[in-house]
Amino acid sequence: MSTHNTTNESGEMYSASETIIELRNTEVVFDMSRGVSRVLDNVDLDIRRGEILGVVGESGSGKSMLASAMLDAVVDPGILSGQITYYPDDGDPVNVLGLSDEELRRLRWEDISMVFQGAMSSFNPTMSVKGHFVETLEAHEYDREEGMERAHELLSDLYLDPERVLESYPHELSGGMRQRALIALSVVLEPDLLVMDEPTAALDLLMQRSILSLLEGLKEKYDLTMVFITHDLPLVAELANRMAVMYAFELVEKGSTDEILQNAAHPYTRALLNSTPNLDAPLSEMTSIEGSAPDPVNVPEGCSYHPRCPLADEQCVAEAPDFHDVSSSHQVECFHWEDAAEAIPFNIEQPSSPEEGEAR
Amino acid sequence: MNWYVKRTGQALFTLWAVASLAFFLTRQMPGDQVATYVDQVIQNNPEQDPEIVRSNIVEQLMIDPNAPFHEAYIAYFGELLSGNLGWSIEAQKNLNTLMAETVPWTLFVMALATFGLFGISLALGAIMAYKEGSLFDLSNTLLGMVTTSIPYYVAGILLIIYIGYPEGVFTQYFPVRYKLPDGVDPGFTLAFISGAIRHATLPALSYVITAYGLLALSMRGNSIQVLGEDYVRVAQLRGLPDRRIALRYVGRNAVLPLYTSLLLSIGFMLGASVILEQIFVYQGVGYWMDRAVQYTDIPLMMAIFLMITVSVVIATYIADLTYGYLDPRIKSGDEGEAY
Ligand SMILES: Nc1ncnc2c1ncn2[C@@H]1O[C@H](COP(=O)(O)OP(=O)(O)OP(=O)(O)O)[C@@H](O)[C@H]1O
Ligand code: SF4
Ligand SMILES: [Mg+2]
Repeated sequence: MSTHNTTNESGEMYSASETIIELRNTEVVFDMSRGVSRVLDNVDLDIRRGEILGVVGESGSGKSMLASAMLDAVVDPGILSGQITYYPDDGDPVNVLGLSDEELRRLRWEDISMVFQGAMSSFNPTMSVKGHFVETLEAHEYDREEGMERAHELLSDLYLDPERVLESYPHELSGGMRQRALIALSVVLEPDLLVMDEPTAALDLLMQRSILSLLEGLKEKYDLTMVFITHDLPLVAELANRMAVMYAFELVEKGSTDEILQNAAHPYTRALLNSTPNLDAPLSEMTSIEGSAPDPVNVPEGCSYHPRCPLADEQCVAEAPDFHDVSSSHQVECFHWEDAAEAIPFNIEQPSSPEEGEAR
Repeated sequence: MNWYVKRTGQALFTLWAVASLAFFLTRQMPGDQVATYVDQVIQNNPEQDPEIVRSNIVEQLMIDPNAPFHEAYIAYFGELLSGNLGWSIEAQKNLNTLMAETVPWTLFVMALATFGLFGISLALGAIMAYKEGSLFDLSNTLLGMVTTSIPYYVAGILLIIYIGYPEGVFTQYFPVRYKLPDGVDPGFTLAFISGAIRHATLPALSYVITAYGLLALSMRGNSIQVLGEDYVRVAQLRGLPDRRIALRYVGRNAVLPLYTSLLLSIGFMLGASVILEQIFVYQGVGYWMDRAVQYTDIPLMMAIFLMITVSVVIATYIADLTYGYLDPRIKSGDEGEAY
């Protein structure tokens, strides 16, 4: 669906009906005593109806900020600005940042829902799981009986025993069960878009795998569009149709999963692919990315990756690169993207498609 | 179930230990207590025969000072178990009667103080947390620290001076002495109930205004911590009403650690009643405790000692059982305790 589509963020051949949410010039700043901290910088992103978009980046690169921005839920005292437009299935486009409190309250969870990073502590420890479902349905004036039936179905779709889980208190569930219960809670109001921030971070490998396959099933059955945020590139590569790579609070590369895996054009993405633990790769071939993640108060001038980039030259230090089209479905923010493949060779063959990645 | 058995066992053990301790202390009392008591009685009623008085007193005492240790111990526990607390020389009354007349009053003042204290502190602490850093928060923090450092008996005297002495509305509604208005008899009447509440108000208030600060500040701290929890943020994004978040999320989770304070305050309040009941001439357990100490009325002391222990043990027991309902993490096993 997404690969033959030729829309792109700069707007050519742009069709609103296929975009579910559109971010333009989205920024988050914190006024801190050390100076202004820009923790999301000028992000443009279109998410297409029905796709799974993977967002990857190292810790502190602004992934959670991007997720919160989509629900206008940036924590105080952060200031969110830019243009965020939500296109409902039917009806007029919604300017998310211009909504009244009540409209925003309804948009969240009913249209755009989120699974938080740190899902382990997303449940009230003194309330049963069922209580969480019931209060959510009531707060949004949904029919309680119908809603609880859907909750039962969702939980069984996620391979949980609905009766048992609903009667339990959060501490009585294992991490994986709690995570799946939280996913069910996030979609109980039948949203169109589900944003998941590191939904598998605290789980073991086996559990991560099984949640991924459950998510795919859920997406098909409930017609969801998903944003899957993680620092684990191989993990998201298995699930996502399209990927976006964040570095230093900006998106630096976006494209279909195949193109990113085969032909990553940004030096950072290539380094990230080389540094990700890969069971097939001998240890000696794994490299870590040199240098450290930039401080949001003091992001390097020019291309923010230049202090760590082997291809950096004067131009990179002086000016910030714009997006360049690698193909109609693949954009990269780098002056020397054409030289990146040669300068930073993959240390192992990348799998040719996400399906073959299963072996890893 | 196991858990209840264990808790009940602990409560019984505490009672036994305290009763034994009372016994040992009495046995260790220096001097011939019986002779002292006889002197006291003779002083008040010079016409009585000292020998008859002596034999009466020995009969009333549950601890025979001349019997061998183990026999005295067994006899003492036998009396206690059959529900006999003995005879008070000072009050010239059966101790069962005296306790029945005084314990409920003291417990009533304590209950009033406890509910007032927790009602005010929890609400205030939570509001301060919501308004963290505001003028309201800062001024209440300061006020709480100041009032906490005032001793409760000073507060009691200040209340008498400023509310009890000036003629006016307050005096008429909140009397500064006795348990009941003149001429009102115990019974299920409006005069009795309102009289009892009005007379208990100032003693309870003396305790509340000097103790609320610490509790409110703990509640404030706990609430601020809970407000930072992920589940509160998720609840807000799920669009729950603010009221529900304040009560069911923040309030509920912030109160749990304060259960310990509740238990401690029960014991502390019983201690405070000794002085407060003097100040307010309120004839409860504390009032008689003071008399017992002053006139070395050992049976009276022991009876009060036991009653206090029973009250604390029961309160602890109830608190412990209800804690399981407040915090589901406790109910399933006994890996945690309320205190
Ligand atoms: N409340 C806050 N006030 C100021 N700065 C913040 C705040 N929360 C996060 N930041 C900063 O915003 C930047 C981006 O944070 P974010 O949480 O989006 O990172 P992330 O990519 O999600 O990282 P991780 O993988 O560790 O979750 C970080 O530099 C962080 O220091
Ligand atoms: S623009 Fe320059 S510094 Fe930035 S990633 Fe490309 S080559 Fe490296
Ligand atoms: Mg994050």
